Amino acid sequence: MSYAIDLMRPAAGAAAPVACTLRAISKTYRSGEHTTSALRDIDLAVMSSELLALTGPSGSGKSTLLNICGLIDRPDAGEYRFESRDLGKLDEPSRALLRREAIGFVFQSFNLVPVMSVADNVDYPLLLLGVPARERARRVADMLERVGLAEFAVRRPDALSGGQRQRVAIARALIKRPRLVIADEPTASLDSATAEQMLGLLRELCHAHGTACLIATHDVRLIERCDRVLGLRDGVLQ
Amino acid sequence: MKWLKFAARNTLRNRRRSLVTIAVAALGTAGVLLASGFAVRAYQALEQAAASDTGHLTLARSGYFDREEATPLQYGIEDYQALTERLRADPDVRVVMPRVRFSGLVSNGDKSVIMLGTGIDPAAEFRVRGNFVQLHAGTLLGSKQDATAEVMLGRALAQSLSAQVGSELTLLASTRAGALNALDVRVSGIFTTGILELDQRTLYTDIRTAQLLIDAPRVSSLGIYLRGMDVTDSARARIAARLQAGFVLKTWREQATFYEAVRNLYNRIFGAMGSILLVIVLFVVSSAMASAILERMRELGTLRALGTLPSQLIRIVALEGATLGAAGALLGAALALTVSVGLLYARIQMPPPPGRSAGYPLQIAIVPILYGYAVLAVTLLSTACAAVIGRRTTQKTIVEALNHA
Repeated sequence: MSYAIDLMRPAAGAAAPVACTLRAISKTYRSGEHTTSALRDIDLAVMSSELLALTGPSGSGKSTLLNICGLIDRPDAGEYRFESRDLGKLDEPSRALLRREAIGFVFQSFNLVPVMSVADNVDYPLLLLGVPARERARRVADMLERVGLAEFAVRRPDALSGGQRQRVAIARALIKRPRLVIADEPTASLDSATAEQMLGLLRELCHAHGTACLIATHDVRLIERCDRVLGLRDGVLQ
Repeated sequence: MKWLKFAARNTLRNRRRSLVTIAVAALGTAGVLLASGFAVRAYQALEQAAASDTGHLTLARSGYFDREEATPLQYGIEDYQALTERLRADPDVRVVMPRVRFSGLVSNGDKSVIMLGTGIDPAAEFRVRGNFVQLHAGTLLGSKQDATAEVMLGRALAQSLSAQVGSELTLLASTRAGALNALDVRVSGIFTTGILELDQRTLYTDIRTAQLLIDAPRVSSLGIYLRGMDVTDSARARIAARLQAGFVLKTWREQATFYEAVRNLYNRIFGAMGSILLVIVLFVVSSAMASAILERMRELGTLRALGTLPSQLIRIVALEGATLGAAGALLGAALALTVSVGLLYARIQMPPPPGRSAGYPLQIAIVPILYGYAVLAVTLLSTACAAVIGRRTTQKTIVEALNHA
């Protein structure tokens, strides 16, 4: 636990408030008689506007940590606070409402809805939030402009390249101005130039909106441009 | 609207599967509508036949409907002409027809056969009821203007007596006083009702002949024919309120035991058939939705991660079920309508039912409210089973859903 103090401290120069805090978080998976410790006594604080990279080999627990931070999984032990609010006893609908309002997701394989147009995919989080149609249309158009996809608004995701799809996914994650973005290997299926472009975009938008960004990645290019980098091995933060 | 658009687009993902689902829902709906339309048409035909047979209302003395008469016309109506005039004053009454029911023997001199006779007002009866019997030979009652008493015989009864048009027969029956009376009559016509058992016993004559035979200036009942089936209950209430004590008024339905029996039978047969069709629709929609959801498990997990509530997810899936169900139901309704209208023009004859000697035209009633109910039922059923399937997906964790291959 000697590293805990460092991990709980905000990154240098980041005087922003804490987006989320994990204290002594553990998670174990059981499959028949086998048990696997995915996370062990994790202590971590993620600051607003911070791009925090999580690195580590496959099976090190990166995705599990992301899932817990993104409120799509629950720890077996420990305390998870989102903006100082303890979420341990929050029921599923309340967690869904908190995700809807405050957390954006960028998935490795984009996870766009194929029957929705680019604009509809980006619009979906606002639709869930009950934003009026006119306001939604304005914000979607603005966001698509910012990610350079304004002319692709009516296209379906399958008509776009991998890079364009990931930009749609980023636009969908950021359209509601979340306080935390969870990105799992966001550049894994992208070429260098597109990955660079995508990271620049993510960084720009997160800083502009004060959004904390927790990224699980192996990508060195991405790691180099993050504000802070943490290693994870066998469920333990290095 | 966005949700509906989303649901509609989802149904188009696997067009072949959706088409099969819609086709089954359409055939199920059409099957239910055609079967129920056939039953309704049969009910309508039986209602018309029953009302034509007795009159929309039947007026008789107390005891006529529920007791055996000790002597002929024991419960008969005496001053029926005055009563008829009073009934005719009602705005919904079209015609009042007196009838004398009697039984006895009909003889050709060598052989006597049991007969069930009815004394009618031939002119009014044939004018109002049309050709309620099919004339096989001779003429209808009352066509000849001579003093000889005439009868019309059922075809099988005529055969039994070796009687032909113009044959002289003798009617034998008890009089009101209990004596045996005989009356010579001539056969004016031979008819068939389409039912063999009736043709073996039925005989029609005019009221005066029947009253002469029974030796009583009475009639058994008055058949009241109204302007339409729909005014039956209101006319009954109005006429019953003005009736003097000792009379009973019954509607056609209260006397139509055959109609009620057929209706009960058809309701069960077509009810069971409709249920089976709806269960098939339910299975097909469930199967289609289950496959669709399995294929989209990751996507549904993504929607949940984005903050879609389980109830909203169920609503999305239910809307897809509703879209498939409604499309199938509307298509089925259109198909049933086309077939029903087509049958009106095709004039297809059905074979005679058991115990009948004549067939009937195959027709399917078009009842808008039935169409509404069928479309609604199939749509609701599809929505409900899709919602149940959708609910199962929300029981998986988001992580499981996102990791679904």
